[in-house]
Amino acid sequence: MPEHVQKKKPWLKRILIGILVVVVILAGVYWYYATEKFADTKSKKADYTLNALDFIREFQQDIAAANKKYTDKIIELNGKVSAIEAADTTVNIKMVEPATASYVIFAFQQQHLSEAKSVKEGDSISVKGSFGGGIYSEILEATAISFKRSTLNNKYPN
Amino acid sequence: MKKTALLVSFSLIAFSLFAQKKITTSATVKFDASTSIDNLPKAENKTVIAAINTTTGSLAFEAAVKNFAFSNPSMQNHFNGTNWLDSDKHPTFTYKGNITDLSAVDFTKDGSYEVKTEGVLTIKGVDQKLSAPATITVKGGSVLAAADFSIKLADFGISGAPIDGGKVAKEPKINVTAELK
Repeated sequence: MPEHVQKKKPWLKRILIGILVVVVILAGVYWYYATEKFADTKSKKADYTLNALDFIREFQQDIAAANKKYTDKIIELNGKVSAIEAADTTVNIKMVEPATASYVIFAFQQQHLSEAKSVKEGDSISVKGSFGGGIYSEILEATAISFKRSTLNNKYPN
Repeated sequence: MKKTALLVSFSLIAFSLFAQKKITTSATVKFDASTSIDNLPKAENKTVIAAINTTTGSLAFEAAVKNFAFSNPSMQNHFNGTNWLDSDKHPTFTYKGNITDLSAVDFTKDGSYEVKTEGVLTIKGVDQKLSAPATITVKGGSVLAAADFSIKLADFGISGAPIDGGKVAKEPKINVTAELK
C-alpha cells in the first residue's frame, strides 16, 4: 500500500470514532428524555404546606402573583372535602371556599385512585398534588385552582 | 292569597331557570398529537369547567392550560413553553358555542342524542370557529356530553421544528367528555 494512504488512515479512524461517540451520546440523551416519567407525587417533598382556604384566598387577592409563586411546585393542602366528582373513569376531590364558591380541585394519579375513592364529603384530609394553575372562571364567576397527579397524604378523624 | 300565589310563581320560575343550567368542574379533555415516530405528545386535563343551558343549547368550557398532565416531563415543559402554548401568558383554553339542532334533544327524556355544535375555541389568545358533532346522553337528570374532533395547530399560531419534522401531529385529536348536573 502506498505510504501516503497509510498516513491518512489514523485520522479517518479518529473521525469515525468521534462520530460514533457523538451518535451514542445523542442517542443516550434522546433515550433519557423519551423514557423519562414523572415520579410518584407521594415520594416527593412538598414545596409548600398550607390550609386550603388560605391558599384560595391568596389567589383571590392576586391571582397573577400566586400563579407565579406556585408554578411547577408540589403543594400539600389541608382542608375539608366539599365534593367528590366523577371525572371520566376517575374521581376528583374538591374543597370550596363557601363565601365565594372559589375552590381547589385535585385530579388523582391512577395508582392512587383507590385512596381518592375512600374519601367522603366532609372528611378532613391532607392532599398533595402538582400545581396546575389558578384561573378566574367566567362560567362560575369564581376562582378555580387545579391540581394534577395528586395523592392522599392523610385522612384525619372528624 | 294573591301575594302567596305570586311568590310561589316567582319561586318556580327561579327554580326552573336554575335547573336549565347544568355545570361540572370535572369535565375531561384529552389531547393526542402523537405520531408514528413519537408517542409522547398526548395529555389529559380532568378539571375542566363545563356548562350547558338545556333551554338555549348554549355550551361553555374553560380549562387551565397548565393542568394538562403528560407522562413525560420534557413534553409537558415544551407544551407550556413560549414557542407552544405560552401558558404563563395565556393560562386558559375556552370554548363558547351552541347546539345548533337543539330540537334533536329531549332533555326531559332519558336517551342518547346525536347533535351538531358550533362555537369559538380560543387557544393561545387566538379565536377560531369550531364545528363538531357531539353526543348528548340524558340519564336521570344528568347530561353526559361527548365530542371528538381535531384542530389545526397552525390556526392557533403554533408551529416549530417538532411539527415540521413529524414528531408532533399537525392536527391533534381532541376528546371531550363532561357529566353535567
